[in-house]
Amino acid sequence: MARVAVHDRRDSVGVAIEDIRTGDEVEAVYIIDKFVIGRIKALGDIPLGHKIALKDIGAGEKIIKYGRPIGVATRDIKAGEHVHTHNLKSIRWGALERR
Amino acid sequence: MDVVGGRPVIRGYVRPDGSVGVRNHIVVIPVDDLSNTAALGIAKLIRGVVAIPHPYGRLQFGKDLDLLFHILSGTGANPNVYGAIVIGIEENWANRVADGIVKTGKPVYAFAIEGNGDLRTIEIAARKAKELVQEASEAQRTEIDLTNIMFSIKCGESDTTSGLASNPATGYVVDKLVDLGNTVMFGETSELTGAEDVVAGRIGDEKLREKFWNIYHEYVGFIEDQGVNLLGSQPTEGNIKGGLTTIEEKGLGNIQKLGTKPITCVVDYLDPVPRGAGLCFVNTSSAAAEAVTLFVAKGSVLHLFTTGQGNVVGHPLIPVVKITANPKTATSMSEHIDVDVSDLLELKVGLAEAGERIFNYALRVMNGRLTSTEVLQHDEFSPIKLYISS
Repeated sequence: MARVAVHDRRDSVGVAIEDIRTGDEVEAVYIIDKFVIGRIKALGDIPLGHKIALKDIGAGEKIIKYGRPIGVATRDIKAGEHVHTHNLKSIRWGALERR
Repeated sequence: MDVVGGRPVIRGYVRPDGSVGVRNHIVVIPVDDLSNTAALGIAKLIRGVVAIPHPYGRLQFGKDLDLLFHILSGTGANPNVYGAIVIGIEENWANRVADGIVKTGKPVYAFAIEGNGDLRTIEIAARKAKELVQEASEAQRTEIDLTNIMFSIKCGESDTTSGLASNPATGYVVDKLVDLGNTVMFGETSELTGAEDVVAGRIGDEKLREKFWNIYHEYVGFIEDQGVNLLGSQPTEGNIKGGLTTIEEKGLGNIQKLGTKPITCVVDYLDPVPRGAGLCFVNTSSAAAEAVTLFVAKGSVLHLFTTGQGNVVGHPLIPVVKITANPKTATSMSEHIDVDVSDLLELKVGLAEAGERIFNYALRVMNGRLTSTEVLQHDEFSPIKLYISS
């Protein structure tokens, strides 16, 4: 089974450690002790290194990785969806875009 | 690994000032762009000489000029350098760079092109360079405890595999080097964004912490004041291709390579990094060659460089050990990769095993094994320029 790595138990996203295809059942693994957090169905292709939502995330909600906010969801994201520039943006430097 | 009394031992070069190098170069330093031709001419004639051409050095002023002198002198003073030749269009500035090197007690000669022309300058300087190369060829590596030596770290073309595996494994090595009493420099001021408070929290000394905050706010404030859209620049196209979405995610991945030790040293562009400084923040640009160039000017003799998508940066005078955890990069760009820790990413090995692999490789490099950057001639020398010239 394909796996995604999770840095911190608070994280709302995991990272694909191999290429994942739409419909694949993937296992989310906590990197420190290899504890299996759960299973999730990929709703899109997730290339190696890209992020997958581990739970439903509402538009405007902070996305958590390393136990810390890495930005904010720009639209509703379903568990299993690819998370990247199309639905996540910086809280810090993303603001500059709006000037 | 050689271990004496529980301490790793390397074979390095002890310089007249007691500093330890792991290479034994003769460098030809052009003070300015106009002197590049003569510097390269000398390197062409004399085997074993390294010229470090760059585009700057004319009509710079103030802090920007001070930084150029700091970088040129510091590079010549680096413990990996046996001796240096300085070439400038004018005598005064050439002497000023040489004065910054001569303090280390190593041989330095300065020459000016004005009044002599390129050809005469090349001839006089090449004769000196020949003597220096022959002298340097007799310098011996000696057994030295792995302590009180200066290193540096940086990541580039990062992706999420950096934050997951290659950076934490490098952090393991950083902890080990710091525990042994070595100095490890890190920088990338702007790319700490999103994790800057974590870095600040690891600086125990209040004054140093305040200095860090001032440096950080000034740097990032400058970027933000430009009012430009940074998307496409931070994160870079390569970062985004590798799955990194925001500067915060990049910053949090970046600091995974800092290990777990307290940060005991904070220096700005022009400050020296004292030996024995421990884990040291150096204000640098986040551009790979600029950062490595500044670390070398401050004394780093070996650099650990992690990459995800495959940054190829090197330096003319120090080995840059290239580490990746991205299995695609390890295969598609194998000639650039020294240490592959993709099995850590794939959860097949633990952090300590991957970290020890990097550490042991770094020891071999300290003892003389050439890195991919050295063999592939990745000789990037890129002084940071702060603002326009007059």
